[in-house]
Amino acid sequence: MLKDITLGQFFPGDTIVHRLDPRTKIVLLIVYIVALFQAVSWWSYALVTLVTVLAMTLGHIKPKNIFKGLKPMLFIIVLTALLNIFYTQGTPIVEGWIITWEGIGRSVQMILRIVLLITGTFLLTYTTSPIALTDGLEKLLSPLKRIGVPVHEMTLMMSMALRFIPTLIEETDKIMSAQKARGADFETGSLVQRAKALLPILVPLFVSAFRRADELAVAMESRCYHGGDGRTRMKQMKLQGIDYAAFALGAVFLAAVIVLRHFGL
Amino acid sequence: MTVIEFQQVHFTYPGEEKESLRGIDLTIESGSFVAVLGHNGSGKSTLAKHMNAILTPTEGHVLVHGIDTADESRLLDIRRKVGMVFQNPDNQIVANVVEDDVAFAPENLGVPPEEIRQRVDAALKQVGMFEFRQHAPHLLSGGQKQRVAIAGVIAMQPDIIVLDEPTAMLDPQGRQEVIATVTRLCRENGMTVVLITHHMDECVGADRLVVMSDGRIVADGSPAAVFSQVELMESEGLAVPETTRLLYELRAEGCELPIDALSTVACADAIAACLKHSR
Repeated sequence: MLKDITLGQFFPGDTIVHRLDPRTKIVLLIVYIVALFQAVSWWSYALVTLVTVLAMTLGHIKPKNIFKGLKPMLFIIVLTALLNIFYTQGTPIVEGWIITWEGIGRSVQMILRIVLLITGTFLLTYTTSPIALTDGLEKLLSPLKRIGVPVHEMTLMMSMALRFIPTLIEETDKIMSAQKARGADFETGSLVQRAKALLPILVPLFVSAFRRADELAVAMESRCYHGGDGRTRMKQMKLQGIDYAAFALGAVFLAAVIVLRHFGL
Repeated sequence: MTVIEFQQVHFTYPGEEKESLRGIDLTIESGSFVAVLGHNGSGKSTLAKHMNAILTPTEGHVLVHGIDTADESRLLDIRRKVGMVFQNPDNQIVANVVEDDVAFAPENLGVPPEEIRQRVDAALKQVGMFEFRQHAPHLLSGGQKQRVAIAGVIAMQPDIIVLDEPTAMLDPQGRQEVIATVTRLCRENGMTVVLITHHMDECVGADRLVVMSDGRIVADGSPAAVFSQVELMESEGLAVPETTRLLYELRAEGCELPIDALSTVACADAIAACLKHSR
């Protein structure tokens, strides 16, 4: 049952979006988010939506996968929409009602904003492998090393965590099976009872995780790991033509949204 | 040429009273395949961990290429010479992709990117895992993972490779893969191999067999010579290979047989010769 969990949710592929340098994609995501929050009018929302759909098409991302990812956010989306409908002042749709035309407009915009925000982040994680993502992050954040931020250590921890997720899930599965074989019950009872039943899983899992960490540290030292100083990388990241083109398009996009805002459209 | 030298090494784990190593003298020659055999708690893993300065002696010295392992300023020099493969393959693979993991050691050593690529490809080919270079490690079998771990060590280009019970968690096929790989590394690439194990059948192909018990070396010689000492092995709680066992029993019954025919074929030939002779 636990094996079904896919983390990072990366869909391998060979589209233009997949081939972009991870750094480009991270920067473009930031540009996209800024643009999204600059959008106030229907015109600008239309533009952002258009760009999003275009990027999805280019990256061969199926709307189905986006909707699947939106599901956990459904509660927040509905709540935001309701609050906006009921708390926006303006002309009521029917005399005496609390619901206003402005309220409906606001809540549609809020829904769009949240959905587009999540879709944008999914575009990054669906088309970039977690390793490429951490590598890109390390490169992007590397200037922070100068002010003493342990960038290398942080990204190493991230990629190591990703590496051990499947291993630890497998281990959890094994422990659960072992406990079930001895009569443990994880599926029935109240929430509190089920939570309590998880404790006997967590204890051995933590003990084993610490033992693994210990062995891993020794193995890393045996392979001459001594921190990030003087380290080289086999895979060098290089910005290519498509990256520069993407940057240019991103800049145009952001400028367009700002211009639209400026003219009050 | 001597590559590793133990000089009267004693070692006690912090917080323990009993010595884990009690006066070890051992020299390992370049290019040899040395197997270290012993049951649990005999000190064989402790011995292995002294070879690349994971542990340093409480008394005595360990020299790797003449460098004392107690000299912390030379730690990297020692570790790049002595590669170490551990028991649990899952706990020594650091990356999410096979080739990235193999690249870990040369990356740490600051090797230029193009050379890392060459080393990684060469190492993966040597262990027969080249076609799996893009795979995620957790989807490989135990034997395959352990071969990736060995490739990760080879890419560092060490002279010596120490394997601390590399087969303990593997199924028979995985064990066979790993031992074949290690034997080939020694025979074809001239690498010095130290194999720590408690499976006596893995020692048969070694040049030299060292038997440890209770922190001491109790036997040292060619596998055939060591296994011939059946009484000694059994008093140390170690079984001998079935061929040796059979020859030993037959000799006890008065047959004129050599005791050092280790392989099944050699054993069968010896018994056949004995039968022909007695007719």
